Formats: sequence, C-alpha cells, structure tokens
Amino acid sequence: MYNRRKFITQSALAAGAILSSNGLFAEIEKDAAAKRLTILHTNDVHSRLEPFPMDGGRNQGLGGVAARARIIADIRAKESNVLLLDAGDIFQGTPFFNIYKGEPEMKAMAAMGYDAATMGNHDFDAGLENFATQLDHGKFPLIISNYDFSGTAMEHKFVPYKIVKKGKLKIGITGVGIELKGLVSDNLYEKTSYLDPIARANQMASLLKKEEGCDMVICLSHLGYQFAENKNKVCDEILAAESEHIDLIIGGHTHTFMDAPKLYKNKAGSDVLVNQVGWAGILLGRLDFDFSSIEKKNLTKSHTVVIREKTSE
Amino acid sequence: MPKIDLFSDKIIVCSFLLSWSKFNYLVWLNYHDAMRKFLFNQLWFFALLFTVSCHTIYQPTAVQYKDYRLAAGAASDEKLQSLLKPYADSVNKSMNDVIAVAATELEKRQPEGTLGNVMADAMLAKARQKYKTTVDASFINYGGIRLPSLAAGNITTGKIFELSPFDNIIVLLTVKGSTLQDLLNHIANRKGWPVAGINFEIKGTKAINAQLNGLALEANKTYTIAVLDYIANGGDDCTMLKVLPQQNNGTLFRDAVIEYLKDITSQGKKISAQIENRVINVQ
Repeated sequence: MYNRRKFITQSALAAGAILSSNGLFAEIEKDAAAKRLTILHTNDVHSRLEPFPMDGGRNQGLGGVAARARIIADIRAKESNVLLLDAGDIFQGTPFFNIYKGEPEMKAMAAMGYDAATMGNHDFDAGLENFATQLDHGKFPLIISNYDFSGTAMEHKFVPYKIVKKGKLKIGITGVGIELKGLVSDNLYEKTSYLDPIARANQMASLLKKEEGCDMVICLSHLGYQFAENKNKVCDEILAAESEHIDLIIGGHTHTFMDAPKLYKNKAGSDVLVNQVGWAGILLGRLDFDFSSIEKKNLTKSHTVVIREKTSE
Repeated sequence: MPKIDLFSDKIIVCSFLLSWSKFNYLVWLNYHDAMRKFLFNQLWFFALLFTVSCHTIYQPTAVQYKDYRLAAGAASDEKLQSLLKPYADSVNKSMNDVIAVAATELEKRQPEGTLGNVMADAMLAKARQKYKTTVDASFINYGGIRLPSLAAGNITTGKIFELSPFDNIIVLLTVKGSTLQDLLNHIANRKGWPVAGINFEIKGTKAINAQLNGLALEANKTYTIAVLDYIANGGDDCTMLKVLPQQNNGTLFRDAVIEYLKDITSQGKKISAQIENRVINVQ
C-alpha cells in the first residue's frame, strides 16, 4: 500500500511538474536537448596539472586542471548530456609524475568527472602495475580494444568498449592504442600484445551499432593523427577511411593542434569526424552533436554530417 | 523522419496528462476504483512507449566545434586547487632537493664546454648501462641544453629540469662510419656540439681527424651511438639520422642526468669537468 501511494504521489508530482513547465514548447525543447550531445575532450595532457610556469616560454600560463575543471563545470551547468573523454598520455612530462607516478593526475580526472579514457604509450612509463594502481584513483573506465593485457596487472582493469546513455541517446565508446614495440620499453609493457587497431575498432563499432543499437560510436585513439614521414603507418586518418560504424575519432599522440575537426569518408561512404587538441591541456575540445531519428532499415545507408564552428554559447 | 517521431512523442505526453487529470477527479469518487481505471488507462501508454523506444534509432547529423584555450588568469575551480595543493607544495619542495655539488661553475660553450661534457658523459654512461651494450659515442644537440651555465655549489633536481625540460629519450643508432662522418660535418657546421667517446677537429665547415677510443674513424666500420630521440627523428636538421633504425627503451635523458650526478655524489665526489679538446677549431 505504501509503495502504491508513493507511486501515485510521485506520479502526481511529476505530472504537475510537466504541466507547470511551459507546455508543448518546453516539451519540444526538452526533446531536442535529449537528442543533443556535448563531447568535451583532452589528449596528451602529460601530467600538466599546473599551468606552464611563467618563465617567458611560449606556453607560459597556459593549461592547468583547476581552470579546465571550471570550464567543464560551467558547460555542465548549461548542457544536460555531456561526455568528458581523454585520448591517452595522461602521464609524464612534469615533476608531478616523477614524484607521484600519476596519482594526482588520476585524482584530478576523477574530480572533473571524466567518463572514459584510453591508454597512451607514456602511460606505461612507470610500469603496468603502477598504471593499474593509479587507475583506481581515476574512477573512470579505461577503454582499449587492441591491447591484450593477459598475464599483466592490467588484465582485469580495462574494457574493450563501454555504452553510456545520455538523454535519449545510446553512445558506444571504444579505444585503440599505438604499437608498443620500439616505442615503449619492453620491460614496461611486459606481456601486453598489440592487436590490429583497425580490425579491432571495426569489430567493436559493428557490435556497438548493430547488436547493441548504439546511436553513435566514438573511438578514442592514441594512434596519432598522421605521419608525414611514413604514410603507411596506421593513424587516425587511415583508421577513419578504413572504418565502418565509427562516427567520431578523438585522437592523440602526435600533439596535433588542428584548426578544425576534419571529416573523412569511411568504407561505406559515411562521414567520420576526427579531432585532436594539441597537448598539455592547453585546450579543451568541445563538439556539440545534433541527432536525427532514422529508420532501422536505413542504418546501413551512408550519411553525412554537417560541420560548423560553434559561435554562440 | 524526425517530425513524426516528435509528433508521436507529443501524443504520448498529452494523452498521459489527460488521463492523469481524469485520475485526479476520480480519486475523489472512489480510490480503489480509480486505481484500477488509472492503471488500465496507462496500459496502452506503456505498450506504446515500449514500441516507440524499440524502433527509434538516432544518427548524428550535425556538429559544432569549439576549442577553449586555458589562458593565464582563467577562472579556476577551488576544489581542484585544494586537491592539487599538497602535491604541488611537495613537488616544489623536492625540486629543491640537492642531488650533487658542482666543484666549479659549469659552462655551456662551443665548440666544447664543461657543462656539455658532463651531460654528454652522463648520456654515454647511462646509455651503456640502460641498454646493456657497447656504445661508442654520445651526441647532444647544442640547443638541447637549456641553461647557459650551472653555478658552483649545490645542484638541485629543479635545475636539471630547467637544463632539460623536454622529455627527450636516449636512443641508440647503429651507423656506418661514413654516416657518422656526415653527422660530424653537420656538427661542425653548427660550430660544435657536446660529445663523449669521440674527438675531432673543425676545419671550416668540415669535421676532420675524428677518433673513437683512440682509433681513427673508418668509413666502412659500424658504430653504435647514443643520441636524443629528437635528433634521431631528424630534429635540428639531422636528416642523415632519420633513416636509421632506432633502439628505444624509454630512458629519459633528464632522468639519466639526475642518476649520473647522484652516482658521482654517492661516491663522495663533486661534479667537475675540464675542456679535454674533444672538439677543437683548427685552421
């Protein structure tokens, strides 16, 4: 009886709340908002917890987690569906890392409410056991699909993909990392084996779109945007072109400051967006996606995305 | 198709609200009867909601982008500031840790300087130790040393961070003598860089009379050299190195220098260096 009464009271309250809001227009606005997604992202922050020192260097005063947290909080106050993501190389670059091995970096990310991150080559720098330990402070899922961590401290500490529901939207997130051989000392990555990032990302994206029914698939990538000296080396440009079912690649590793996110055509002729925001947390990237409903039979048809600079808040 | 979807959503909301006001009225008549009717009224709603939610798939169709630049003096979050403070205080304190004592002032100079010699010695010693292999010589690009001098007296961890703020890694390259001669010519062109394990003369824009371990450089012999990944990747116009395969075990140059200075300190010694004619200018 109690439960039924409670249900009725809550229903009546909810009905009252809907009536008192501005009727149909408010409903329409709410409907549109439920189909809008704000993605905030960083990459290659490299332990830059405090802004660059005021030493006359060209980056002096830039970055810092306290300023980033403030902007994130301001955006969250205005937007209902916000995802905060990082594309790896959280570690290495300031004395904070040399001394604390990543603890304050992870704690700061937890405090900012990161939804997910992938792993960069420098995240191996203090060993896999250390990364696994520090990750507990992060409180976010570590998403990577092309490292096999069997027999290492990371074995049970990662997921190949993650589904997040935001408003009416179901968002699938996967991640890919760079080949470790020759880049990371083998005593640091131990038994980790590197799997083909394109094959794995496609496998995950297909599962997320076709079986899990996700409305969007995001791939966090630490492959690097492009390699001018080695055109065949797998990178975000190649991943985008060879992909199917990935809508957005948030990149890292090459510390690329892009003038604007770039659209590529995937294997099926659909648009894939690639973005990267330099390094050191100098920039916080923001992408506001609008969604339209489609019929399931049109899911495999190629589709385009209209891109423009956000000019108003 | 968005319009139809939105429309059907609206029908649901309106019908739901209508049935609710009906319900409120009925509550006054008979609570139990009302409850039955209310739940019955809602059945179709849940059935419809179920079908709608099963069939609506969304697709991203438009995107707006913006980068927020975190500039000096930007508003900051107090919670993060206080989270960071104990770490920052301690980091700043440990940057003041004294790791070694310089017997005399160490200077950055061309073609050869005492500060460069210490750093090139550190690179050679740590490359041999960390890669557990024979390394013939080490080279540091002159611009890679970021302080003009280290004063006599205490050397702090923070000073080494100032000296080497970049996360440069010591990599090993296996080079033919002829390629090594190209690198030496490049160094001669740049008026001399810090080196260890090798000595040569700069004549005009050429390096001559190069010797490794007391033996003349041979064009057809192969040598193993330690350099920063920066120049190995072609930085500072070292294009002759870019094509060579690298050994990279992630040893940070800065960490190597700190370790090297601590090693000397632990032997009860001060840091000193002389000009040893590793690189000299000749007419």
